[in-house]
Amino acid sequence: MHMLLEQFLNGLTIGSFYALVAMGYSMVYGVMKLVNFAHGDLFTLGSYLGYSILVFGAGWITQVLGIWGGVVVAISGAMISVGIVGLVVEHIAYRPVYKVGRLPVVASALGMSIFISNGIMAIWGPRFQAYPQNAIPSGILSFSDIRITFVKLITLLVSLGLMAFIYWLVEKTFFGTAVRAMALDRDTATLMGIDFNKIILFVFFVGPALGAMAGVFAGLNYGRIIFNLGWTYGLKAFTATILGGIGNIPGAMIGGLLLGVMESLFEGFVSGAWKNVFVFLVLIIILIVRPTGLIGEKVAEKV
Amino acid sequence: MAEVTRKVIQRIFKSQKSSKIPLKSSPLQLVLLALVIIFLIVYPFLPFVNNYWIDVGFFVGIYVLLGLSLNIVLGEVGLFDLGHAAFYAIGAYTTGILFTQLHIPTMALLPISAIVAGGFAYLVTFPIIHLRGDYLCIVTIGIGEVVRITALNNPFGLTKGANGITGIGNPNFGLFSLHTPTHFYYYIWIIVALVIIGLLNLQKSRVGRAWNFIREDEIATEANGIDVRSYKLIAFILGAGLAGIAGNVYASTMMTISPDNFTFMESCLLFCIVLLGGLGSISGNLLGAATIVIFPEIFRQFASYRLLFFGAVLVVMMIFRPGGIWPRRREGVGFRGLGISGLPADEDEFLKKILKKAALVPQGVDPPSRSSLKTETVNEKVNGDLLLETQGVTMQFGGLMAVNQFDLKIREGKITSLIGPNGAGKTTLFNVITGIYRPTSGKVIFMSQDITDLKPHVIISKGIARTFQNIRLFPSLTCIENVMSGPHCHAHSGTWSSIFHPPSQKKEERQILEIASYRLHQVGLWQYRNELAKNLPYGKQRLLEIARALATNPKLIILDEPSSGLNDKETEELMDFLKKRIAEGFTLLLIEHDMNVVMGISDWVTVMDMGSKIAEGLPREIYNNPRVIEAYLGKEE
Repeated sequence: MHMLLEQFLNGLTIGSFYALVAMGYSMVYGVMKLVNFAHGDLFTLGSYLGYSILVFGAGWITQVLGIWGGVVVAISGAMISVGIVGLVVEHIAYRPVYKVGRLPVVASALGMSIFISNGIMAIWGPRFQAYPQNAIPSGILSFSDIRITFVKLITLLVSLGLMAFIYWLVEKTFFGTAVRAMALDRDTATLMGIDFNKIILFVFFVGPALGAMAGVFAGLNYGRIIFNLGWTYGLKAFTATILGGIGNIPGAMIGGLLLGVMESLFEGFVSGAWKNVFVFLVLIIILIVRPTGLIGEKVAEKV
Repeated sequence: MAEVTRKVIQRIFKSQKSSKIPLKSSPLQLVLLALVIIFLIVYPFLPFVNNYWIDVGFFVGIYVLLGLSLNIVLGEVGLFDLGHAAFYAIGAYTTGILFTQLHIPTMALLPISAIVAGGFAYLVTFPIIHLRGDYLCIVTIGIGEVVRITALNNPFGLTKGANGITGIGNPNFGLFSLHTPTHFYYYIWIIVALVIIGLLNLQKSRVGRAWNFIREDEIATEANGIDVRSYKLIAFILGAGLAGIAGNVYASTMMTISPDNFTFMESCLLFCIVLLGGLGSISGNLLGAATIVIFPEIFRQFASYRLLFFGAVLVVMMIFRPGGIWPRRREGVGFRGLGISGLPADEDEFLKKILKKAALVPQGVDPPSRSSLKTETVNEKVNGDLLLETQGVTMQFGGLMAVNQFDLKIREGKITSLIGPNGAGKTTLFNVITGIYRPTSGKVIFMSQDITDLKPHVIISKGIARTFQNIRLFPSLTCIENVMSGPHCHAHSGTWSSIFHPPSQKKEERQILEIASYRLHQVGLWQYRNELAKNLPYGKQRLLEIARALATNPKLIILDEPSSGLNDKETEELMDFLKKRIAEGFTLLLIEHDMNVVMGISDWVTVMDMGSKIAEGLPREIYNNPRVIEAYLGKEE
């Protein structure tokens, strides 16, 4: 029982990373009908930028602002910069090929993904980098015999809070309605006077920014990062996106948390070495049985 | 005298003009090809080439083979396969495991590796082959990872985990064992040469064309009676089989394999090779593979940046040259590019022969004047045998009743029209007849056979052809290739005969071309035969689609709003053309919402509104039917 709960909490933590990244996939896919392959690597970029901010000047940010202040600066700095990178990526790699056809878009996204992950390697080196110990808030909370680190608790709370905010933004506000309308039918939405470019700006800033946040949290939780980290995270987050129904933002959140918990339980009770195989089997089974996702709607293709 | 001279000169000019049409490969191209082949043969003996560079040449060969194998799936069929290294790995591990466990010579394992990799591809892609592009892409990445992780986890002690399998034997022919870089170099390039010959044959065959049709437009392919699913599977199996061969060659020459050889980045590199070179282009593939392998060797101090570089190149290429460096040119090669032997040099000559042959078919003869028939009427209702019948077809989408208990009767040799206002359910009924939708209840009977549950491509091959409301052609293929998709469903050449081109296959290809040429000429597009379909104006595209439908040799042709997008004159010409087809033994079903179009040519009109039949009868009766007027114009106050 104790182990089950612990694995469950671990699963929720990792699931919240998946969920944050998956929301980015889902937003972009919804509006552009494009799998942003570079998204996983933007997650890594966020992680590295957070790392650099924390290491910068031998940690003076942490010294001046305190340990939590450092974390806040690292997260917001990474989110803003990666958001901007996201916009740049859209502008140079996706916009020019968007109308050419499906293959060029996929290839361009793939090229961007390779470029970013290898760019990270070129800048920060091919080895693991350790987040500075003095910048990670320490402390453990225990509830009877369940122990949870401060960082994990904060990660969970902030991620869930942010998800709730995005949910509200997309489902309950006027702007969110515009985003969803654009996802349903771009032409009609544009004819109704919704500015496509504004929506693009939104999804390509907010999506990567959420990913960057997950990246910094991942660094804080696990302590070390590597340049191709984003690939597995990205792929699993995409699995989560499909699990929840692609283009469906609340679905991405639920899919992410669900996948994290499933993976964590599998790891704890069956086998750690085969957990990725398990995740991909889930992906394949979902695509065969219910390609629209667990809560996606069935759409007939128009002929 | 002057007269004669003029005629001679004219004739010379004429013959020059016509000899230009069946463009042979230009001498320059042939010289280039010869140079490349000679270079590849003498390469190991060139003065500056040491063992190291021979190895590089060997790896270019391996990557050409891998690139070609992915090219079948990605280039020819347009399926996004980002896990191709998995099949490479299966081939390599099959060789490694069987050699170390059972000591089977690696040479003998070459075909076995290909079969195991192909079989594996069949098993894993069978359930997912219907997925759309992006999903398929993600799943193939997943398959690639599953294979790599499996190798890493050393199941049953077979794969030896992260260190991989070592001590795999070199390939040997009897007593002669290949063991120097030069041996390996020739070994791989001979395999590559054989594969290229096979693939060139495949490109110029029924199977290769079907793959291209799928890449261009899946729905239109299915609607021409081609089994999309099987052709996709064939592509995956063949592609994986070739990758398996590459895996065998790699394992037996390097003598060691490990999971690190088969990462996602490996799949990405293969993807780059195909895209850089150009989709479906074999020469592009050679170029792509050479670039990917040789570039990092030349700029060795920047070797760790090579993927950074390739990533950037991929993006830039897609923006400025999405077709690749050396794309496959279709329009330039014309008929010759179809690879059909024994065609006369002059394509017009070829057409004349076909037209002579087809003279038995009474084409161009006006059918007996219909207007005179129309006045006598009543008997005509029962004239002609029943060709197609829908019995109480109902189609429900959720709560929406799109088609409700619909009975439609189509008599042989007649023009039947199904009309109704927009949203009446005409297209839905149409999709039920052609097998795209399965009706909620009811039956579709064609030539006294129940076709309700048949797949679209089977229905088409039984003799129902269709056109689309918003034209679906194969835009980047030539007009003649477009029409050649028609006879496809009645031909039989399979994959093997497409690779080896036996006489039966050649004969069949010629027949396909003859039918296609005849139909293309019939709609008046013969002069555009080597033009890409996307370059035609709208009205001609519609004619091309009709030619394609006629080429399936159907009993019944269903035209979905053929007049949409055409002006009055074009519509009139089209209707005239269609009327004449009746004399050839075709039966027509028109689906229209424009009353005026159908009144002139229909023998029988069925009116649909809100999913139900509200009237049927002769055009004149329908014209004055109050219920029909009401459906179109609303109720009079």
